[in-house]
Amino acid sequence: MALRADGTGGRGGSPAPELSVHGTGLAPVTIAGLTAGGCALLVFVSEHCPTSALALRRLGPLCQAWARAGLTAVAIFEDPLDLAIRTARRLGWTGQVAAQEAPYPASRDYGLATVPTAVLVGRDGVVAGTVSGWDRRALAALLRAAGEGLGADLAAPPEAEPLTKPGCSSKAAIDPELAAAMSASEGADELEEMFERGWTDGLPVVPPTMERVEAMLGGWDGDESLGLVPPAMGEATLARVAACAVLAGCRPDYFPVVAAAARAVLDPAFNLHGQAVTTQPAGQLVVVNGPVREAIGLNTGMGALGPGFRANLTIGRALRLLVCLTGGAMPGAMDRSTLGHMGKLSFCVAEDEEGSPWEPLHVERGFAAGQSVVTVIGSDAPLSISDHRSRTPEDLAYILAWAAASAWSTNWWPLAEPSVYVICPEHAQMFRDAGWTKQRLRQFMFEAVRRPARLLRRGETTPVVHMAGPDALVRKWASADAIVLLVAGGEAGRYSAVLGPCTGMGSQIVSREVESRGR
Amino acid sequence: MAADYVSPFDERVRAAEPLAPRPASVAGSRVVLLDIRKNRGAEFLDRVETLLTSAGAATTRVTKEIFSKPAALSLIDEIASGGGLVVEALAD
Repeated sequence: MALRADGTGGRGGSPAPELSVHGTGLAPVTIAGLTAGGCALLVFVSEHCPTSALALRRLGPLCQAWARAGLTAVAIFEDPLDLAIRTARRLGWTGQVAAQEAPYPASRDYGLATVPTAVLVGRDGVVAGTVSGWDRRALAALLRAAGEGLGADLAAPPEAEPLTKPGCSSKAAIDPELAAAMSASEGADELEEMFERGWTDGLPVVPPTMERVEAMLGGWDGDESLGLVPPAMGEATLARVAACAVLAGCRPDYFPVVAAAARAVLDPAFNLHGQAVTTQPAGQLVVVNGPVREAIGLNTGMGALGPGFRANLTIGRALRLLVCLTGGAMPGAMDRSTLGHMGKLSFCVAEDEEGSPWEPLHVERGFAAGQSVVTVIGSDAPLSISDHRSRTPEDLAYILAWAAASAWSTNWWPLAEPSVYVICPEHAQMFRDAGWTKQRLRQFMFEAVRRPARLLRRGETTPVVHMAGPDALVRKWASADAIVLLVAGGEAGRYSAVLGPCTGMGSQIVSREVESRGR
Repeated sequence: MAADYVSPFDERVRAAEPLAPRPASVAGSRVVLLDIRKNRGAEFLDRVETLLTSAGAATTRVTKEIFSKPAALSLIDEIASGGGLVVEALAD
């Protein structure tokens, strides 16, 4: 409903009051700043108001074109900033976002009775017109007036029903207790609110209340920064990491493992930036070694790569939520993965060190057996390798090795990045019985998988293959070190798995010790 | 009152910036051609460079260290001081 749509009503002709709001950037939101490039359209809205949602949805797609013509649009919410951002994003608002909280000083200063209210401020900082509620015709007139001032033709919202719709009461215009009640989430479905805020990977989450996050931190300083999470470069304070752990469903005793995984992926050598935005499917595999596995109930046995165990699933999920939420790498947004894989929900395996014939991964990487360590590896989805019939370690090693022949791509030889083998206990037992060391198995596998270059020249292949003579033997891996061997899984069944690499990223494997709470 | 949550988001993260205005013509412009080292990106830029040159633009070629990591600040400075326009060969 248009209450003052004539372009001069209300505060028309008066200087626009300075804005007491929070913006999304570090710089304050000012009338001078908003009108620096021309004029400004202040759109006062409230998250609870359907007419505000209509206005944001109809005007949102136009903001970028307006900005290019010199009209800066800002949605000013009567809600907390994080809720404002989520709501604006959900509704397709592409202009700026600002927020004010009780007692809603900006709404008061502009004399608001209704949201949405659109206020046009000219380049001279004077209010040029106001439209309250949704009134398509009045808004078109306001935009025409703005366009005349800018010498531009500004797009108006589409001629779609409803052409008019009454707004809702501004929270500044009603009793403060009632306004607080309108802002309260009590009575609403908390789990649905998490989806509304965008604090999810697509599955229900545990709301990160202050109490839960405090418990997750366990006395650690929530303000401590672990660094910036790419690609959006949100700061991974321990409080935000803990919020992700709560959202994921972690118990507080898992948190040191989550924090170690976060530290590991933020090491520049891991190149999370590349992994987070790539069209590749790669997820971030978390391998846990050391005493912490038993202390927090990580599963190393049956179904080691699958469902059923809270610690494995929620630790992996917490790390992925950190990447998606704090880091901004939500699939379809900055995460551009063509297909992705289910390991991008959660991807945490604990090694069966006790059942392994070999030194565990963290010892290979220079840690003491008694240390608890998290190792992160950019990895593709697992490919299961059935072998129930090999009767020699050579045959079994050959079968395991050749399963990776098509890792990354059929004729992409050699691979410089790591292929991760999860060897099941029955397969490991055959190597134990034969006295094979880990290095012997790795070397055998490395040497087993090779082909004449002429057989690798079809379709996508590598410069190495192109440059090699037709009968020159090309290996699948650039070095034996590109084969990572773990032991995990149920005691019965001869199924191992290989996880292909994330390639072309220069990503390295990174390990971090799990810090104890008593530091 | 609303429940007090700890947000996993860093609200200081900046929203996407609007695109810069597009020039009506490239004649007389200096154009930086950024090869990010994606497969065949250089071939694409070769063709673009030919077209730009024939349209009267002057070109400069720069290269990222690796496509999967952000450009070094020194390279960004070099691009910013190299001309008014940039063409990036993004992906194969």
